[in-house]
Amino acid sequence: MNTVIKEKKTTTATRRKTTARKKTTTTKISPLEKKFETALETLNQAKPFAKSLYQTDVYQLANELASTIEGMSVLFKYAHLFDQAGVFLNGDWEDPTKLQPPFVGGSLRLRGIYSILELLSEMRMLAIAKGTYKHESLSSEHASSFLNEVLALNLDLLFPEEQESELEEHLIRAQNLFTYLQQELSCESVAEQMVQEIKRITVQRPIITKRIIELIENSKLLINDEIDSEFAEELAKYSRAIDAPTPLSLEAADQRDYRLKLEQASREELISEAERFAESMNETGLVSPYHAILLRFLNRKYQEIIPSALHLTESGITSFNENIDLIHDIIQLSIYPETKQAIYGLTKLLNRGVLKLETLIPALRQLFELPIHAEVKNGLSNYIGLNGISINGILVAGVVSVIGQPLGIGQGVNPICQSARAISLWAQYDIEKLLKLITTAARDNNIEMTFEGELINSNLLLDGVVTANLQDLDPVSIILVPHLDRIYNEMMKRTLLRGEDGHKWVNREFYGEWIPSGFINVIDPLTLKVTNYPTFVKLFYATHHPDYNEGYKMLYPNPVGIYLTNVHGELLGLHAVSIQRIEKDQHGECRIYFYNPNNDSTQNWGQGIKASVTGFGELEGESSLPFHEFVSRMYAYHYNLYEQGDTYMVEESIVEKVETLAKDSWGKNYEWA
Amino acid sequence: MEMKQIHGKTTALLGWSLQAIEAIDKMNRPYVVVGPPEFKPFADKNGIQFVPWQFDVPIEHSMELYEKLKELDTKVAVPIYEETVEWAGMLNSLLWENPRVFNKSLLLRDKSLMKRRAHLAGLRVGVFEEAFNKEDVAHFLKRMNEALLNMDEENYEPIHVKPFDKAGTVGHRMIKKSEDIEEIDDSEFPLLMESHLEGQEFSCEAFVHNGKVHFLNITEYVKLGHSNFVPASPTLEQWRPQIRETIEQLVKAFEVENGILHPEFFITPNGTIYFGEVAARIPGGHIFEHIERVYGFSPYQGQILCCDPETTDEELKTFFPEEVVSAKGHSGNLMVYPKVKSISKLNIPDELKEHPYFLKHNMFLPATSKVSERVGFGNHYGSIYFFGEDSTEMRKLLEQYEKHDFYL
Repeated sequence: MNTVIKEKKTTTATRRKTTARKKTTTTKISPLEKKFETALETLNQAKPFAKSLYQTDVYQLANELASTIEGMSVLFKYAHLFDQAGVFLNGDWEDPTKLQPPFVGGSLRLRGIYSILELLSEMRMLAIAKGTYKHESLSSEHASSFLNEVLALNLDLLFPEEQESELEEHLIRAQNLFTYLQQELSCESVAEQMVQEIKRITVQRPIITKRIIELIENSKLLINDEIDSEFAEELAKYSRAIDAPTPLSLEAADQRDYRLKLEQASREELISEAERFAESMNETGLVSPYHAILLRFLNRKYQEIIPSALHLTESGITSFNENIDLIHDIIQLSIYPETKQAIYGLTKLLNRGVLKLETLIPALRQLFELPIHAEVKNGLSNYIGLNGISINGILVAGVVSVIGQPLGIGQGVNPICQSARAISLWAQYDIEKLLKLITTAARDNNIEMTFEGELINSNLLLDGVVTANLQDLDPVSIILVPHLDRIYNEMMKRTLLRGEDGHKWVNREFYGEWIPSGFINVIDPLTLKVTNYPTFVKLFYATHHPDYNEGYKMLYPNPVGIYLTNVHGELLGLHAVSIQRIEKDQHGECRIYFYNPNNDSTQNWGQGIKASVTGFGELEGESSLPFHEFVSRMYAYHYNLYEQGDTYMVEESIVEKVETLAKDSWGKNYEWA
Repeated sequence: MEMKQIHGKTTALLGWSLQAIEAIDKMNRPYVVVGPPEFKPFADKNGIQFVPWQFDVPIEHSMELYEKLKELDTKVAVPIYEETVEWAGMLNSLLWENPRVFNKSLLLRDKSLMKRRAHLAGLRVGVFEEAFNKEDVAHFLKRMNEALLNMDEENYEPIHVKPFDKAGTVGHRMIKKSEDIEEIDDSEFPLLMESHLEGQEFSCEAFVHNGKVHFLNITEYVKLGHSNFVPASPTLEQWRPQIRETIEQLVKAFEVENGILHPEFFITPNGTIYFGEVAARIPGGHIFEHIERVYGFSPYQGQILCCDPETTDEELKTFFPEEVVSAKGHSGNLMVYPKVKSISKLNIPDELKEHPYFLKHNMFLPATSKVSERVGFGNHYGSIYFFGEDSTEMRKLLEQYEKHDFYL
């Protein structure tokens, strides 16, 4: 097409030269700017209903302008007028407060008109950030952090790799946008954002670390002299954690080379390697593939060093010593570079001390040589790498992770919160049941459960929310979720005509008898209206809040239903979480600590309700919220009929506070009786 | 433009067109839009008075629509699309208690009737017949060529077939050999068959009120369905008196009182004019945009004024400018269709964008690369607009870029 494209092909180093060639492009820019200005003004003049007749001209000229950096600055010059003119009217980009940074990269990578709208939307955001445009409900700080996050999430567009072929024009535009944004924002704030994002996810210690690793890989591009050493050091730390956190691994050319280096290493060197790995893993929750190689090596020759490589606590060491053969076999069978993350699970499993349960050991051993159903093999085939790990090895690694990190189980992008929560609950309080289910599912591709005395076989059922396309799940979830989903669905079906929410019965049968039999839902199943909300709130306080429930402590997690809302408090859908514990934090405020299977536990639910994952004594994988904020999102919970205080002791002011939060958010979608 | 409020009664636009809505909105007169129900939320949101209606139901349902429009104090219905012409005819018949209005509108909806009527009125038309099956088509092709003393089946002169009631070129086929006939699906019948007409093709946009032509635009076609410009070149405009005469003949023949006529003609180098077909709706091919660009008035408003029997001659006189001489230049456009099956990039030459006649284009890389099939000339992928003083340069540009591959 023209010289501009060829310029864009080059890397960042040569891109700086484009300013030198400015003359050739400026001659084209000024008539283009005039046309853009005119088109924008025509759009501005049009009545709202007729805007779409004139938007295209603006997009087309914006498209043209965005093909050069100079053009980007023209777009910025007019960006404060976009909203007033109606550039985004009647489209997905209309309200900037509803936009979310994670979606930006995807839109920019689309061909055609959406990528242009997205680009213009970033320019509007920049105008807000720079203060040239005052938006009534979006602050300049918010706009800045939005853009920093966008940059952090799309560093590959900011630092493109050398391209063999010409890039498509929408990608060139995206690169120009990021180059321009980077000029306007600071690299440092992007790095800071990146560190925050990585920290935010790692602190929750998920089993599946794919997303974190992607972020870290991207962040490598950002490490240069321009950014503050503090952030650079943080990023480097994460980068080392997934690659080479120890002196020998740093020197090693590849995995084979590392293993050869271990052969030659002294005992002291091995101990130091072990400790460095353990430290890095403990600090970040991330595991290096070399860590797996070291562990396999130690497992053969220096088993006594293994505790140092795992960062075991006292009870972990005891557990290790009592089960030394089992651990040996687990490592031999299941710890490979492909399953490296299971090392963290193994540490946690040992530290939990669960191997004291005598029935557990034969159940685990049974998995070592379990014949695996062909369909299950197929489902796990993604995990097979080059190092010859067996399907049973993958299964065992998966089980180790789940038992070690019950709150690290995530639903990925799949609508399976119910099943993920179930696996998490069993991994905490009914490992035996979990292993039984895994065994039959892996061997027979079937799960049996009883509901009110009647047997249900998952392989005889057809309906379920999910049957295929489960992505980014751990091996145990891959095996169990399709079965659990169908069974849960079937149980719910059998309660359809009871005139009460079926969860009341299903949860106890499905999760376990330890679920309290009391159950309440805010929605009347007959009228579908929110009914007796104050009672709902008071009862929860009287059964769960330490100031009102006569001091009864929760023994088991409580699976509750919540309304998930977005940052504006608008209802997104129903969601399953479990309350892990309820305690007062360091400031004396009563908080609800809960497990959220959606891997994004710090979501902003609007109305200032933002779950935290750290800073209030949260354990790994836990989120927490002040008591009343959590209650305002709940629609159903179980309670113990025999362990409660008096509901009339709960102050009306509390109920009112909660009710207002509920009514102004998800409550807008319901009628209130 | 601001117009003083002279009419208190409601004008109904039949069919959803933002351009038409925008035009009537600026006229400051009460209006209602009758259109497919899916536009209701948008209309409500923007305060546009709206009656949801599906025009693909039998015309017998029109009483129901009439009642609704009556309630809104409607005085006239203005058709926007081909499919709404007979609806406007029926509604105006009911509103004005004149059944003939509807019957006349039907003439414009059946190409075979239309052709006969024109023929009867003494307009020059090609040879035509109705076909009800493939045999009819084969027979017509053969007989036409026999009449031309052309016995060479390999090199038959072509004939054209088209459905009776579709807009513009939808369903149009050129037939030269029996394979072409085989490609016609039985469901397409009945069809109108016509002899091929030589000569330059052009269209007219005649704004008629009380049977009188108040403004006549001539649109020169550079390539049918691809490119045209307004006003026509001096070479074509030299025949304006003859063309105007033909149009007046047409208005008389079809007993057109109020509205617009959009006929298509062929003209031979010595000025013989052949009638192609005629529609009573807004023309396609961006013609209204051209008229607005060169003459500075909104043809949509012109149509509304002409459709309304209560409009005065005085109003029309002030509204319409003088033909041709008042034009600021020539406005033309090229409609672009991908010539590839799958689009990987746009290829817009710099010399096009830098040409002083180049106004704008609206081509984007489509989100899906697969190119959809073409129906009539309706779904072009993009348009390029030109504006300039010299019609020769305009024609040259349109011809030149028609050959260019914009989509690769």
